[in-house]
This record gives sequence, C-alpha cells and structure tokens, in this order.
Amino acid sequence: MSACNTCKDTEKTGVLHIKKAVKRFGGKTVVNVEDIRIGTHCIEGLIGPNGAGKSTLINLMTQKLSLTEGEIIYYRGDEAINVSSKNLNTLAKLNLVRSNQIIQDFASLTIVDSMILANTDLRHEKFYKLFNDKEVREAAQEKIDFYLDYFHFDFPEGHALSAGEKKLLDIIRCLILNPKFLLLDEPTAGLPQDQSDKVIDLLQKKTAEEDMCVLIVEHNLDLIWRVCDYIHFMADGQILIQGTPDEIKGNETVNKKYIGEESNA
Amino acid sequence: MISFLTSGFFASMLSFLAIYVALTVILHLQANVAGVVNFGIAGFWGIGMYATSIFLLRFNINFWISIVLGAIVTGLIALPLARILLNLDGQAVLVGTLAFASIVENQIFVNREITGGSRGLGTIPMPIDVGPYRFIVYGLVVVAFVVALILYAWKLKKAPFGRLLFSIRDNELLSRSLGKPTFRHKIIFFAITCGLIGLFGGLTAPLHSFLLPMMVSPTVTFTAWIALMLGGQSKISGAVIGVLATEFVFFYLLRVILPLPAEAAQMVPFFIYAAYGLMLVLVLMFKPTGIMGGKRRGN
Amino acid sequence: MNPILLQFTFIIGLLEAAPMVLAAVGFTLIYRLNGFVNVAYSENLTIGAYTGVVLNTMLGLGFYVAIIPAVLVSGLFSVATYLLVFRPAMRRGVNKTELIIMSVGLSFLIRYGLTMVFGVLPYPFTHDRTFIRFLNIGITDLQIVCLILAALVSIFYLMFMFRTNYGEKMRALSDNEQLAKTSGINPLRVTIMIWFMAGVAGGFAGVFLGVFSIVVPWLGWYEILFIMMITIIGGIGSVPGAIVAGLATSILRSGVTLMSDSYAGAVTLLVLFIVALKYQAVRKGGIKT
Repeated sequence: MSACNTCKDTEKTGVLHIKKAVKRFGGKTVVNVEDIRIGTHCIEGLIGPNGAGKSTLINLMTQKLSLTEGEIIYYRGDEAINVSSKNLNTLAKLNLVRSNQIIQDFASLTIVDSMILANTDLRHEKFYKLFNDKEVREAAQEKIDFYLDYFHFDFPEGHALSAGEKKLLDIIRCLILNPKFLLLDEPTAGLPQDQSDKVIDLLQKKTAEEDMCVLIVEHNLDLIWRVCDYIHFMADGQILIQGTPDEIKGNETVNKKYIGEESNA
Repeated sequence: MISFLTSGFFASMLSFLAIYVALTVILHLQANVAGVVNFGIAGFWGIGMYATSIFLLRFNINFWISIVLGAIVTGLIALPLARILLNLDGQAVLVGTLAFASIVENQIFVNREITGGSRGLGTIPMPIDVGPYRFIVYGLVVVAFVVALILYAWKLKKAPFGRLLFSIRDNELLSRSLGKPTFRHKIIFFAITCGLIGLFGGLTAPLHSFLLPMMVSPTVTFTAWIALMLGGQSKISGAVIGVLATEFVFFYLLRVILPLPAEAAQMVPFFIYAAYGLMLVLVLMFKPTGIMGGKRRGN
Repeated sequence: MNPILLQFTFIIGLLEAAPMVLAAVGFTLIYRLNGFVNVAYSENLTIGAYTGVVLNTMLGLGFYVAIIPAVLVSGLFSVATYLLVFRPAMRRGVNKTELIIMSVGLSFLIRYGLTMVFGVLPYPFTHDRTFIRFLNIGITDLQIVCLILAALVSIFYLMFMFRTNYGEKMRALSDNEQLAKTSGINPLRVTIMIWFMAGVAGGFAGVFLGVFSIVVPWLGWYEILFIMMITIIGGIGSVPGAIVAGLATSILRSGVTLMSDSYAGAVTLLVLFIVALKYQAVRKGGIKT
C-alpha cells in the first residue's frame, strides 16, 4: 500500500480497492472504473462534471446499488471484505459509512434522539429490552454534548428544522458511527459558511488524530483544493486522472471537461 | 348495581371491549410505530383463537398453556409471511395481509376435521371456575392482560427499540445506513406482535365458547382499523378512546339504551358496519389525526 | 393430466374468466390512472348486479335488456365515488395507504348499506337458459354471451387505450398532472371518463357473476382479492396484462379446483399472489436486504 503523507497508519483506517467495477442501467454504462485505491490519504476528493457517475460510484461502494461486474474490496485493518458480500447496514457496522447527498432525516426523531440512535449498539435494540433507555442515553451523552456545543442548532432539544441543520445532523450521525472510511456526498451544500468551515475543521482534526479517512464528493472546487490531500477526477463513468490538488488543477483534461460546467455556473 | 357488575352481560361487554382495545393497540404498534400496514388482523386473531381451542379440546391441554401455544403458532405462521411481504411497498403489504386473512377464514371453513368447519368448534369452558362469578373474574383477567400490553407498548415507544422502529418507519434506508438491520427487525417485530394478536385471539375463545368460521371475518380487522383511525393513529390513548367511541357507543348504547322493535334490531349490525365505513371515510377526509390528535403516519 | 380433463379445464376456465377479465380491466384502469388499490371497486360489481336483478325480477325486464341500465348505473356509481370521496381526499393530501383504507371504508358503507336495503337473502335472476353441448360440456347461452361481451369490451378498451388519444392523455395524466394540464388536457374530464369506463366494466362483471349464481351483498367483495391478484400478475396498470392474466389465472383456478380440494386451490392462489407481488417489486427495482 502506498504511503500516506499525512495519515499515521493506513493499516488502521479503511481502504477501498476498486477492481474493474462496472455498473450498467439497462444498456447504459454509468460507471466503469479500472483499478484504483481510495483511502490512502487522510482526505481525498472525488470530482467531475455532472453525470460523471460519482454518486453511483459511492452507492456501489456502500452497496446501495450492486455492481454489474467487477469487485470492490474494503480493507479494514488486516481484513479484506468484498463489499458485494455485504449490504448497506452490515458495511456501516464495519465502519464504512456514508452521508447523503439529498437531505435525509427521521421526521419523528429529535436531534438528540437521532444521535442516540446512531450511537446505540444493536444489542440494546431488542423488543424485550424496555428499561435500558437511561443506559443508552448516558452512553451517548458525551458525544451529544460535544456536537451540540461544537455546532449550532436553533433548537438543540427539538427537531432539525432547516435543510442546513438536517444536512449537519446527517454528517454528525455518520461521525458518531466512528467510521474508518467515511464517504461524504456534497457535505457542505446548503450549509452556512461558518458551519461548513467547522465541518471541515472537524474532519481534518479527526483524520489526523483518529483512524479515519474521508472521501469527499464536491462541486465546490475551492473546498476540494483547500482540504484534499489527493483527488480522483471522474468523467463519463471512469476515473481519468488522479493526483494532488496542484497536479489536478493544472491538468488540461480536467479543465476541458469542466469548461461546460463552469460556464453554466 | 353489584348484580349488574357481576352479570354475564357486563362481563362479556367488558371482555370484548378489552380484546378490541388490545387488537387496536397492537395495530398501533405495527402500523404506526413500525410502519407495517397490517390488514390481516382477523387472520392472526382467528389462528390464535382456533389453535388455542384445538389444543384445549382435541389434545386436552390446559387452557393457559393452550393460549401460549396458540400465540406461538400464530407468530410462527406470521414469520414466513413477514419474510415475504415486508420488503415490499405499503400497498403490497396491505393487499398481501388482506389476502392472507381471507385464506385463513377459508381454511377454517374447509378443514372440517380439525376446525369443525361450519358446524363449529366447542364447547370452550370458562377457564377459571369460580361459580357464578366466573364471567366477571375472567373478564378482569382479560383486562389485566390488556393493561400489561398497554404498559408494554407505552414503555416500548420510549425504549431504544421503539426509537429504532420509528427510524425505520420514517426513513428505512437512512436507518440502514446507520448500520441497523431494519428488515430483520421488522420481521421479528411483526411476528412477535402477530403472536400477541394470536394470544388475544386465544383469550377470546372462552368468550365465544363456540367457534364459527364467520367469526374470523375481516370485520374484526376493520373494527380495529376504524377504532385506531378515529381515536388517533399516533397515540396509545387514541387506540383506547377509539375502541370506546366505536364499540361501546355503537354496540352497547345502541342495543341496550335504544328500545328498537325486533325487526329493526336485526338491522342494527348492518347499520353499525355501514356507519363504520362512513366514519373511516370521514375521519381520513377531515381529521386524519383522529380524536387524540398527534402526528400522522408518513407516506 | 388426460386430454379430456385438460379440455374441460380450459373451457370452464375460459368461461369463468370472462367476468373476471372485465373486472380486472376496470380495476386496472383506475390503478393506472390514480395509482392506488381501490378496494371499493368491488362495490361496482355488486351495484351492477343488484341493479340488474331488480330490473329483471321486479320490473320484468329481460336479462339481456337489464344489462344496459345495470352497467350504466355502475359506471355512474364509480364516477360518484371518485367525485365525492377520492377526488376531495386526494386534494386534501391523503396519502396512498390512507386512500386504500378509505376505499375499504367506502366498500363497507356500500356493502352494508345494500344489506340494509335488500337483506341478506340472495336474489336470483330469472332467465330461461338455453343449454348447448359443446365438446361434451354443457354450456348456457349466458356463458357464451358473457364470453363474447367480455371479448368485445376488452377489444373496445384496448382500442380506446391504444388507438385514440384518450389513452395517451391518460398516460400523460398519470405520469404528471401539471404537465398534462399545460399541454391542454382537461384532467377532470379524462379522469371522469376513465372512472366511468372502469365502473361499466365492473358492472358487466357483476351482472354476469350474479346471473351465473345469485346476487348477494358481498358478491363483489368475494371477488376483489382475485381481481387484485389478476391485476398484479398482469403487471399493475397494464390493460393487456390484465386481460392475459385474467384468462390465465382463471383457467388455472378452474384446473386446480377440478383436480383437487379447495385447500390446494387456496394455497396455489396464495403462492401465485406472493410470486406476483415479488415479481412486481423486482421490476420496480427492489433494494438489497
């Protein structure tokens, strides 16, 4: 495994090895990735024009969609796990976690309940366990206090109200799961600048201090150049170019592929 | 007054009300907490009632053990059904459970050797034989079971498992992305709660004392649904109020208080069911949250 | 299976299929347009049957004459349920599951309302049957007429769907009402038309089911599950699918009933039902669990 300049130890974080992964819808090939490793740096970025297949690739990695061909291996410490043999929820339990591009929330759970849910171990969730809520709450208390203190919610005791708060809560739930590999699909879209900066600060701190690496899918290129250690450029379902932000920034192909998009924006 | 309270009539009214409260509370757990639209309540209830009676009468097993066995049988039948149906969408679950219940009714009718078919199955005696007071004593036992159920439901909604069920109902995919095996939880919870429906079916057997296939009609299902919709889908109190508002008002006040001529009295049940239907339409149209208010179940 | 029994099964199945195909086509139209399982559709059958039998026995109309007012009443009833119940409900934002529960309530209201008017005793039609022997099977004129009518109605509805612009309008409407409106379709008129046609098809089914046996308040209710199953097997919302599935399942049902006890029949139906539901889910693109 290639060395990481900022991560302490890739043996402890998660690494995804994508081998000849193909996804077709009907006859249309949406993703066709030859052979790449993701997660060898602290924070990596996945960029590309609209319709490049970024979200589909993330869905394939977390088994929200299944592969048409090829395989994706998730290295978790010294374990090698073929993601096709798992599903969305078992992968989350193996610390391969994803956030959502489209705003997702539990309509009937408060912010605190949502965090407790994410923090609660499966063994506490049994139909015959009626008296363990206090224990479960206490176990989550430290994290709840931290996140409510760190981020701003209008009504921390109530529900997440705005789209931004829901997005933030989505990311918090992911972080509570202690991911070794965290996939963030447009994490700062819809967030106010100060909250978005706080998310990034927290991700940098956590990847530096804990056994975690992050893959960010973003359209906000300023953010990508600023925080990513390594970038995968995707177009037409393929990973065309990989490199450091400086390498990608100057690349002609990248600029060409992005031109249409930039002029729209 | 005392003699009224110990009368068979009062005891039977109390017991049936309690049973319907139980069915409605369980329906609330399934439909509103776990998000499973069960339209086959009559089927599970019927399996419990018949299985209990068959264990009791054909195998001479003690009544209370028979009830437990009946509940287990119901749960075990619900398990594969849940496995098949619960990853489909709400409409499919509704139609599938409705079909299941109608097949149960049909099977009870057809398998005469076991169920007695249209000749009926009986006689199921009152399990607690304390002379003339046996009806009211049994009624109180049923009420005790229902109170226990309500306590369980109340506690469950505040427990971590309740939180999990709410999350599944609200957004199953999001819950799965947090590592929750939602499908397994739904299946197990559905089987357990159907087992409970079977348990209350078993408790109903001595009240009917003589079982006929027509008792296992979809009317039981709809009575519970109407009570839940009327009372308020999202609250346990809604289930209780709903049953009192439908069963009590319609069946008992209409029959006991209003002096109707014999000919009109025959029409009362039909009138009641028609009124149930009308109420269901009106409640969903004008006040989908029911009497007790609260949140409405999502799409 | 020996050839005579096979022949027997096929012909009886075909004759039994005729009213079911009609009912399934009507049910499918509503599902295709409004996207929910309308359980109260069963009452179109019952109302059609009662109208027919009342005109036939009380006013002395011939059976074949009575069919026409019966299906018209059924069609109007269908439109009335839409205008008085489902349309206002959908406008109030009642969700799909609640709409189905509502339709069950409506079905209850109609069924027991009819029971209060007509009582539980069955009403038989009066009609002198002509028996015809066909391949050693006794067939009545009613069955033949029903088969022919079912075929005609099916062809007419298929033409309507695929040969006129109404079919297109209906598809546009079920996909996106707003878009349909802006492209000059009058949603209310098309919708009423569809509900009327669905009701008429249900009325036909009801009258024939009634004349084949007897008219009782739960006539439609007894068949609604089978109708739903046909619709699901045919691929919910597809009219040609409903026709083919209606024929196939009815023939299968008669085969199973002829060969074995009703236990196997019920189980076969349940299995079919579930397979159909599963298949439907897979086609929609289920999620891995």
